[in-house]
Amino acid sequence: MDDLLITTLLVLSLFALLGSGVWIGLTLTGVAWIGMQLFSARPAGDAMALTIWGSASSWTLTTLPLFVWMGEILFRTKLSEDMFKGLAPWMNRLPGRLLHTNILGCTLFAAVSGSSAATCATVGKMALPELKRRGYPDGIVVGSLAGAGTLGLLIPPSLIMIVYGVTADVSIARLFAAGVFPGLLVAGLLMAYVMLWAAFHRDQVPAADPGMSFLDKLKASRSLIPVVLLILAVLGSIYTGVATATEAAALGVVGALLLSAAQGSLNWRTFRDSLMGATRLYCMIALILAGAAFLTLSMGYIGLPRHLAEWIGSLGLSPLALLVALMVFYILLGCFLDGISMIVLTMGVVLPIVQGAGIDLIWFGIFLVIVVEMAQITPPVGFNLFVLQGMTGRELPWIARQAAPMFVLMMGALGLIYVFPEIATWLPQQVMRR
Amino acid sequence: MRRLLDALYDGAAVLAALCMIGTLLMVLGSVIDRFHRLPLRGMDAYAGYFMAAAAFLSLAHTLKRGEHIRVTLVLNALGARGRRALELWSLSVAVGLSGLFAFYSARLAWQSRSFHDISTGIDATPLWIPQLAMAVGTLLLFVAFVDEWWLALRGRVADVREVGA
Amino acid sequence: QTKWDLPTAYPASNFHTVNITQFAKDVGDATGGKLAITVHPGASLFKAPEIKRAVQGNQAQAGEILLVNFQNEWQPFGLDGIPFLADSYDAARKLYAAQKPALQKKLGEQGMMLLYAVAWPPQGIYSKTPLNSAADLKGSKWRAYSPATSRIAELVGAQAVTVQAAELSQALATGVVESMMTSGATGVDSKLFEHLKFYYDTQAWLPKNAVIVNKRAFDALDKATQDAVLKAAAAAEERGWAASQRVNTDTLATLRTNGMTVQPPSAALKSDMQKVGEVLLKEWLEKAGPEGQAIVDAYKKM
Ligand code: NA
Ligand code: NA
Repeated sequence: MDDLLITTLLVLSLFALLGSGVWIGLTLTGVAWIGMQLFSARPAGDAMALTIWGSASSWTLTTLPLFVWMGEILFRTKLSEDMFKGLAPWMNRLPGRLLHTNILGCTLFAAVSGSSAATCATVGKMALPELKRRGYPDGIVVGSLAGAGTLGLLIPPSLIMIVYGVTADVSIARLFAAGVFPGLLVAGLLMAYVMLWAAFHRDQVPAADPGMSFLDKLKASRSLIPVVLLILAVLGSIYTGVATATEAAALGVVGALLLSAAQGSLNWRTFRDSLMGATRLYCMIALILAGAAFLTLSMGYIGLPRHLAEWIGSLGLSPLALLVALMVFYILLGCFLDGISMIVLTMGVVLPIVQGAGIDLIWFGIFLVIVVEMAQITPPVGFNLFVLQGMTGRELPWIARQAAPMFVLMMGALGLIYVFPEIATWLPQQVMRR
Repeated sequence: MRRLLDALYDGAAVLAALCMIGTLLMVLGSVIDRFHRLPLRGMDAYAGYFMAAAAFLSLAHTLKRGEHIRVTLVLNALGARGRRALELWSLSVAVGLSGLFAFYSARLAWQSRSFHDISTGIDATPLWIPQLAMAVGTLLLFVAFVDEWWLALRGRVADVREVGA
Repeated sequence: QTKWDLPTAYPASNFHTVNITQFAKDVGDATGGKLAITVHPGASLFKAPEIKRAVQGNQAQAGEILLVNFQNEWQPFGLDGIPFLADSYDAARKLYAAQKPALQKKLGEQGMMLLYAVAWPPQGIYSKTPLNSAADLKGSKWRAYSPATSRIAELVGAQAVTVQAAELSQALATGVVESMMTSGATGVDSKLFEHLKFYYDTQAWLPKNAVIVNKRAFDALDKATQDAVLKAAAAAEERGWAASQRVNTDTLATLRTNGMTVQPPSAALKSDMQKVGEVLLKEWLEKAGPEGQAIVDAYKKM
């Protein structure tokens, strides 16, 4: 069967199902089902159940529901209010003011969590209501959160780097080190964008709080102590080896419960609400993840991504042209598949091509992670968009539009990393030199 | 009937919430085990089973609360009649797909039992036991979609809820 | 034309996968394209624990599994994971010959067939600190990733820690894991030399990867194609065992060039570990019953 025809049919059925209001997780299941029944010789049902079970019960995923729960607990404490109280005086002078809390919060949280959905959900749960209350416009708040949430993948620890490291046979420790500066670079670009936006939309940024003396600012910062303690405790547990990156989420939940108890906001009702809220939010994400796992399986059987990658390899491109082609390829793929699936499905074909072109595999890993980050915020299938839809109730296309500038910024980051590869390669060389 | 169904959805969700706590306890257990040996082996696997159960058992309840996301752009743009027709269509698709999901989930658990499929980890759990949660959860989701479909057919105005943050 | 899918959990560059890819190509060539086998490396179709089940249900017509992974289900799957029962390539080959009829029978009952099996390079001990005897492992944080490695920890008094493969790198860097048992090849793949400095080439056991096929899928082929598959499988088996030995030599050299001390175990360490092996074998025989005893007896007679 002609690949082009298959692609067209699957994309059309995806848009038809999504557009007619079929729930997103079921839409992915439906497209996968159509693809497998029509274009592969295999019956879909048993393979679907087996693969969904495998992904839904996978131990590495436990970090996601636990961080979602941590966010729900913190959301019900005074913590986020306190955090903003402490940060606001310092950010008065910065164009965009508290909008930067999204980006800074995600950058910090990314050092704790390896997943972009968890980063987006946890920081979003705390920041969204508070920013709304203070009168910041929804568009830029949601957009910057969608973009910054993806930092969960680039700043170590990172689930996707582990997957890439294992398939590409490169050191995961080096990959983690390589992600630090590109992560800070993307964060910096996002902040620069927010400042620029603020400069052009002065009327939409709420007025600054009254000026404070330095001493008053310091006093106000005391309310930051609980947040800082929580983040330090979780980070510390990872870097001292008390817990692995996945287990850190469980310590995060315990820490959040202790904090909320210390603040006196923990009672039966808030505990129950946070637990049920987390269960439902995670359930929503899990249904989509189940559909995505099945779609990945279906693509594996049909072989579409593989064929496309093989075709790119057959073109005999120069390294730069190859990278551009791969970027376009992954961005297209990223519209329909989630990040880890993209890497798993194509690495077998893409790696030899990349190695043949003499491209450094650590550097390429960072390139891939940024491209995957972009995939998290492109419609119709973008997990950060889904998480934000679940939290704000806004329409998917609207959220995607708000996130579009972040997509462009990440393309910019890719360009910078191509021109200055040291951004990615310098730190691993320093760290691992013995 | 109404009360029975709602009790079913909500009861399963309470179980799901307990499984969420189970996930937390199992992951915490793995941390503690590294410093002080606990009597339970294979807690990493149990954490995965509890997580899966938490997700599947709350599917129906989450649907009923309108928290499973969908694209409602077209639905909202249509007039009352068009909206009802499209809502019936999308619910019909959902009934079909969730039916497949439920059927094959049940078949997975049943086959695991007849194949004597056992976890390859240290836990050595017969897999049909945790997979039962998937079978039950997806079956409830199917029932909930049929329920919604029936309500829509009987003329309940398509209620496209906005989810609050 | 018939199409088969063959999932494997290991990356495309792994020597097992390279061998399987060659096998798939050989089958295609020998049958003039009548049977096309698509290899799905790196868990891109099914993950490691799902592959056996997928082959059994014919969702994948063939697949590669690590036999010891399935010990919980049937003890003889785990026989090649018992320390010092077979501690060289020659012995491992004999153990395979003794195990094979039972494997074929069991897989046959489950609707599958064994095409061929290839051993991983022999398992040694990685440690942060030098080891003169098993006593030096007391209290060491030892990575347990299977029932056998967990039991070894108990017997030598090490502290068993469970860390998933995905997080091994970080666990080594932060000192969560200080010692573990695996092959030189896996040590190179997981870059263990970045954190652990000593490798003791105990050659404790040589676990095998098996390529299995769904019986219905195989029976559906015509006789000539079946023969071509079996012939290619036999060739892959020979090629695989030779590749494994080559990889073993190469990877031990790689460990050395990366600054690791690679040495044979001291007499004390070796005899300590052999004692551990005896306990494990005894416990295994209790669980495996007469079926297991028969395999071990057959092996010892060879
Ligand atoms: Na991260
Ligand atoms: Na996308």
